Amino acid sequence: MTITEAKTAEYAKRYDDDDDGLRFQPLEYVGNFKGLEPVPDGILGDKIMRSRAKSGVLEKVSHEDVLRDQFTLDELNDLNNYLAWNIWDVLVMRATEGVSGMIPRQEYEILAFMNEFYRYPEFMRLITDKIGAQGVIDIGESARSEIGTKVNCVHDWCLGAVAFGMGRCGLLAGEWVRADDYVEESNIILKFMQRILWGKRQDGYILNSQDRYRCLIHDQEILDQLMGQVVDFDQGSPSQHTFEQFNATAELLAFFDHYDCRLGLGDTGPYPLPDGRLLIVRDLFVNEEVFHWSDVCEGLPHCYTLAVVIDPEAMGLREIRVNDISTTFTIPKNYVPHITGGAVFVREKWDTPMGDVYSVPISELEPHMEKLRNSTYLMYKKTAKMSRHTLCLNGIYSYYIEMILPHLRKAGAYEEVCAKKDFWEIDQRVMNYYYEITKRNFVQVVVPQKIFSGEGYLPFSDEADLRASKYLWS
Amino acid sequence: MTVLAEGMNVFETDKKPSGTVCYLLNPQSVISLIDSGKLREHILLVRGGTTTFLAPALTMGAIGIITMSGAPESHLGILTREFQTPCVMTAYLTEGSGSRYVPGETDDSHFDEIVEALNGKNVVLDCSDEAVGKVVLLEE
Repeated sequence: MTITEAKTAEYAKRYDDDDDGLRFQPLEYVGNFKGLEPVPDGILGDKIMRSRAKSGVLEKVSHEDVLRDQFTLDELNDLNNYLAWNIWDVLVMRATEGVSGMIPRQEYEILAFMNEFYRYPEFMRLITDKIGAQGVIDIGESARSEIGTKVNCVHDWCLGAVAFGMGRCGLLAGEWVRADDYVEESNIILKFMQRILWGKRQDGYILNSQDRYRCLIHDQEILDQLMGQVVDFDQGSPSQHTFEQFNATAELLAFFDHYDCRLGLGDTGPYPLPDGRLLIVRDLFVNEEVFHWSDVCEGLPHCYTLAVVIDPEAMGLREIRVNDISTTFTIPKNYVPHITGGAVFVREKWDTPMGDVYSVPISELEPHMEKLRNSTYLMYKKTAKMSRHTLCLNGIYSYYIEMILPHLRKAGAYEEVCAKKDFWEIDQRVMNYYYEITKRNFVQVVVPQKIFSGEGYLPFSDEADLRASKYLWS
Repeated sequence: MTVLAEGMNVFETDKKPSGTVCYLLNPQSVISLIDSGKLREHILLVRGGTTTFLAPALTMGAIGIITMSGAPESHLGILTREFQTPCVMTAYLTEGSGSRYVPGETDDSHFDEIVEALNGKNVVLDCSDEAVGKVVLLEE
């Protein structure tokens, strides 16, 4: 229960064109715009960043634009600058969380970022050659008619923001590449990202931050099916408590199975309902079978999908964001007591047909929670015994394999990249970096500073050649 | 009322969990506490703001948490909100050296001082304010 008295909800004002939104945190961003006014988070930050673009790539773009294979240099730099701000926007406060005490996340994260920058272009080119540019767009579009799919905000965002943005940033910070290297590969990554995200959203934008933090992708037919199973709760009722605890328990294992990262969680919404409430559709991926450590999740489905219905009036909702890493934040912060309805659905495997997805009544959730708790404890005891090296390697997999896995699966290319492209191998350069990144505070201070100040996302220069890869090792 | 420490409040709540502060140093100490069956007698004190370190404690009913780094947007912040477990993040002592946590810059002495001041104390968490959570000493 919250002790805040309900106030009139004003969240809908956030969707007025002239509204600048609220600030969710006090920090400001500079990035590559030294000498200009610092940029805040949220809707106002998006407006400012877009106003500084030299091309139209951050506005609504057409199908023809997306099918075109080559970005201009201005478009590449505009995407680079915007993604750098967007990364800051969604992650800067999370970055204060310090050491894990269990999983060396900062270490595995930067290694995975860099490995993705080196390796993803080859896979993305293979997929595009295999199914065509329209096929890539269609992978994104598939998310509109499915629940329990990892073709979602966070995975799709990672294709560009992580593989290009933070991967290139880390390599620049380590002076392993120069700003005008790998222009061709950067184009491949960003074009693949654009096609997936554009196909998913279908409104011309690619990111939720461009649409005032909305991700309204699901077809009405899907929403009607979900809402048909939603049960309304009284505040403080046993049903509400059970639903709340189930959400938390499944979300925790979803984080854990993905090595303490956001890839286990996927929100879309907020979908306005006819009665004035809001619907968040939340996928919680509690058993990713591709990872060997998921053996402790045996008996759990690939995904639980929750229909989470929130009463904005009861909580005096002022702003709600479904950000680009699939996470919902609100002002006021605590929306949980104002969940007034919910339903739970199960997708057993990643490719289970939508017709075979089934719902679980709230009254039957306790055995599922028991399994979730047991798996969490087993995972914990298993993880606690692992060496730092093993944890780092698993962590690299949990990013590098996971972030492009949904797209490889949808393209029917997963087996092919495993067999022909050594998908589960790490680039030898990155393995060498493993021994370098803990020196001179590189992973603890240098990289976070470069990533979260925005200083590390160097633009391509005017002399950059769009065909350039890296031709000299030094 | 003696406020021992303050920090970022993850979410407003009128829950006021109380117990003896238990500093959890490593995963083995988390497992030992759970196996002891006394999890609910303690307010948990941890260094990081990540989820995995406290994962089983969260699912098995931790009543209150104090962290020495992290923010409500951190994974642990998100999960404590979902569990509705009161949580004070990036706690600092109201008295003492005045040290504050700065990511990437703070050395062990900062954390050691907080552990020394809080571990074993009988406290209640006051998370009623929108922004600031308080660790209050329970008078004998």
